[in-house]
Amino acid sequence: MVFMVVAALKRYRFAWTVAVAVVAVLAALFALSLSAQNSEQFSRLQPWILLASAIGVVVLSILLARKVLQLIAAYRANVAGSRLTVRTVTVFGTLVALPLLTVYLFSLEFLNRGIDSWFRVEIKQGLNDAVVLSRSALDLRMREFSSRTEAFARRLGDNPPASVAFELENELRASGASEIVLYGPYARILAATSRSVSDVLPSSPPEDLRRQVSNGRVYVSLDPVGESQYVIRTAAPLTARGLPDARFVLVVYELPRQFAELTDAVQRSYSQYGDLAALREPLKYSFRLTLTLVLLVTLLTAIYGAIYSAEVLFKPVQDLMAGTRAVAKGDFATRVPLTSRDEMGFLVQSFNDMTKRLRRAREETERSRLAVERERERLAIIMARLSTGVLTVDRDLVLRLANASAGAILGVDLVREVGRSLAEIGVSSDRLRQFVDELRARFTAGQDEWREQIEIGGEAGRSTATVLVCACVPLPAEDATPRSYVIVFDDVTNLLQAQRDAAWGEVARRLAHEIKNPLTPIQLSAERMRRKLLPGLNVADAEMVERSTHTIVQQVESMKQMVNDFSEYARAPSMHVANFDLNQLATEVADLYRSQGTLVTIDTVLDAGVTSIEADRGRIRQVLNNLLTNAFEALEQVQGARIELRTELAANEPLPAVWMTVLDNGPGFQRDLLARIFDPYVTSKPRGTGLGLAIVKKIVEDHGGRIEADNQPDGGARVRVMLPLKERQRTGAIRERRTELRRERA
Amino acid sequence: MMGRDAMAACMRWVWLAWLGLVPLAEADALDGALEVQSAFVSTTAGVYQLNAHIRYPNNDETAAALRDGVTLFYDLDLEVTRERRYWTNAMIVALSLRRELAYHSVSERYVVRDPLAPEQRTFATLVEALDYMGNVENWPILVAAQVPGSANYKVGVRASIHRGKLTDALRTLMFWSDDWQRTSEWYSWSLPR
Repeated sequence: MVFMVVAALKRYRFAWTVAVAVVAVLAALFALSLSAQNSEQFSRLQPWILLASAIGVVVLSILLARKVLQLIAAYRANVAGSRLTVRTVTVFGTLVALPLLTVYLFSLEFLNRGIDSWFRVEIKQGLNDAVVLSRSALDLRMREFSSRTEAFARRLGDNPPASVAFELENELRASGASEIVLYGPYARILAATSRSVSDVLPSSPPEDLRRQVSNGRVYVSLDPVGESQYVIRTAAPLTARGLPDARFVLVVYELPRQFAELTDAVQRSYSQYGDLAALREPLKYSFRLTLTLVLLVTLLTAIYGAIYSAEVLFKPVQDLMAGTRAVAKGDFATRVPLTSRDEMGFLVQSFNDMTKRLRRAREETERSRLAVERERERLAIIMARLSTGVLTVDRDLVLRLANASAGAILGVDLVREVGRSLAEIGVSSDRLRQFVDELRARFTAGQDEWREQIEIGGEAGRSTATVLVCACVPLPAEDATPRSYVIVFDDVTNLLQAQRDAAWGEVARRLAHEIKNPLTPIQLSAERMRRKLLPGLNVADAEMVERSTHTIVQQVESMKQMVNDFSEYARAPSMHVANFDLNQLATEVADLYRSQGTLVTIDTVLDAGVTSIEADRGRIRQVLNNLLTNAFEALEQVQGARIELRTELAANEPLPAVWMTVLDNGPGFQRDLLARIFDPYVTSKPRGTGLGLAIVKKIVEDHGGRIEADNQPDGGARVRVMLPLKERQRTGAIRERRTELRRERA
Repeated sequence: MMGRDAMAACMRWVWLAWLGLVPLAEADALDGALEVQSAFVSTTAGVYQLNAHIRYPNNDETAAALRDGVTLFYDLDLEVTRERRYWTNAMIVALSLRRELAYHSVSERYVVRDPLAPEQRTFATLVEALDYMGNVENWPILVAAQVPGSANYKVGVRASIHRGKLTDALRTLMFWSDDWQRTSEWYSWSLPR
């Protein structure tokens, strides 16, 4: 509850402050009116009234100035709703100011005229005339009294001092004066008489009286001595025998009661009018100030109220504008506070409903987008995991989509090249260029949907030709969209090779089985025939039998050798893996061939880093024997024949491995045979069985290795064998290859 | 410390400044020096009496206003305080001597009267009337019993003039523009013991 009150106070802080200021001013004015009833109270309250009024008005002015500055700043900053507020405040202010100013001006005019009418010239003139008339009426009597006093002074001056008192008494009775005093030098009282028994001492003569009589002149004055009491003082210097005397006589006459009251009335009226007339300009000034104060306080309050009302009125509009801007920027969570239940509240409610619906729609869209995104990611993952290459291209062979396998098969990272033409990308890769040529040929022929096996060779002069099973399907095209194609292809090279190997293995096994069995009886039969027949034959026949049986035995031996080779090729691997020094083995084999007294130079370039390898020593020796034998056979007719045997650690292989290379400077491999050089019965030699390299390849693959054959740029053949250094890697590589084969078959 | 009159005057100036009407309020009908020129206290038979000479302003505007019927009050305020070291001075006596000056148009004399006493004196000229009021002689202000001990006492005198005979309603209306109001500075000295 307390927090709510505090919050309400904070929210309406300015309104409260203004209310306090206005109340302070009104209270001050009220106190002002109250204090008018009591002068003492007014005197006590006056500074506090002024202080309260000043504080109230100053606070009101500061608040209004602040409000106006805020409004101007908001207007310049194009704050939402500020222009509407300024316009409304201007209209409200004008509507309030015009009647206020009209009333103010009319009031001023009315007051001026009213106050002026109080002090009309005729009244002033009438009072002046009354004063003059009174003065004239009294002057007559004063002159009469002064003449009588002057005559009495002359008479008194000639009398002896002893009769002065008697003369004064006589004159008092005769003239009707109230008091007669004879003064000597320095205004010393010489004699006095009075009608009043209470006046023991006569009053001292005024200064002007003494001044005048000392100059020898008669003095007369009307003196107000109390409420409706006036005396006429006459004084005259005495002359003794025509000469000036230092004495003077003062005769005081009381003005009759009726005259005194009339004079008092005239004087009172004159004085009161004078007091009021003196107030005329200050009074008008005070009225102007008071009216101006009331006008300004009212105007300030009205303008402040107009600003405050406009702000309150347009607050929902400002909120709506801010909300609209937020919605325009995509913030659909915006909610405009509902401050009223009127039409504006209905508008706010409608806006909030609209943003709520928009938010739901966007959330729905977002969910759909996320679902699509998830599907796309799933598809991307599937495509990335696929060993099958997938490409999407348009009719101009511009790449739209590619997976990693496509790049791996074609030898170019196609994922990074999306958006470029395959023709441009293929400049850097022979394999891709050949692939693009195949695609272009089919598109040019108008084939939209096809499935074929494509063979693309590796780089020139290498044995690694790749066979792809490729399928192309057009994508459903939307209106005005260039048609696209999905091309799916698989590298079936290894699969084909494996199939060939399996077929040849089966052939070899059958040959070994079907041919080897009759060979021994044939050989034994031929030897028995020679042994039985030779003793009974003549020389010529014996010679013929000897030669024939010898030929039969030789050919049977030869066929046995061939069958053994086949058996070797078809034999399931039976590995005797051990740790041995490959360089040492290479040196032994090279020395063995050198010791045969051949003309061929055998060089060994052995990497000292190649220390030991886990493999079947005997089969690796057979690999070296076969390779060197092949090289020797290729160099039979070559002058300066030279063979180089190298070992080196493999630098770019994922696992530790060694490269074993045999090079010669012979004629090299025939180019047309290069792609199938490791197949059985593929040979360029007239006496070869075509099984040497096939067996080598089989042994290498049984060790998890890889073999490549190509021709050197400056002539001569080169066969490279990669062997894993560790048994575990070998089995891993073999397992991977089998998996790959299974995948290809699938 | 700012007196009540000074505070009221200050507030009025704030108001007028806020209203932007300061130039309109600059007129001063009591233009001229208003000061207590000299003052002292004498002791006679245990009674302290004030003697002072005050200079009251005398100008044509004042004379004309008097002749037109305006009545002026001439006040002489006196305060006797006991000095305190850590607090404001204690008030012992606060007196005011008021004289009323008016011009009697029928008799053409200036009348000086004490509103509290029936006597009044008339003067032929304004100068004589002002001289009379400006010379205060033997005004009893306190007796010795009111200032006991060895404390220090301070006497302050100031003179003031204001328009008299205004009704309360008119006084309220003259809230903003009563320039017939002047007060001198305090003339202060220590009370001789």
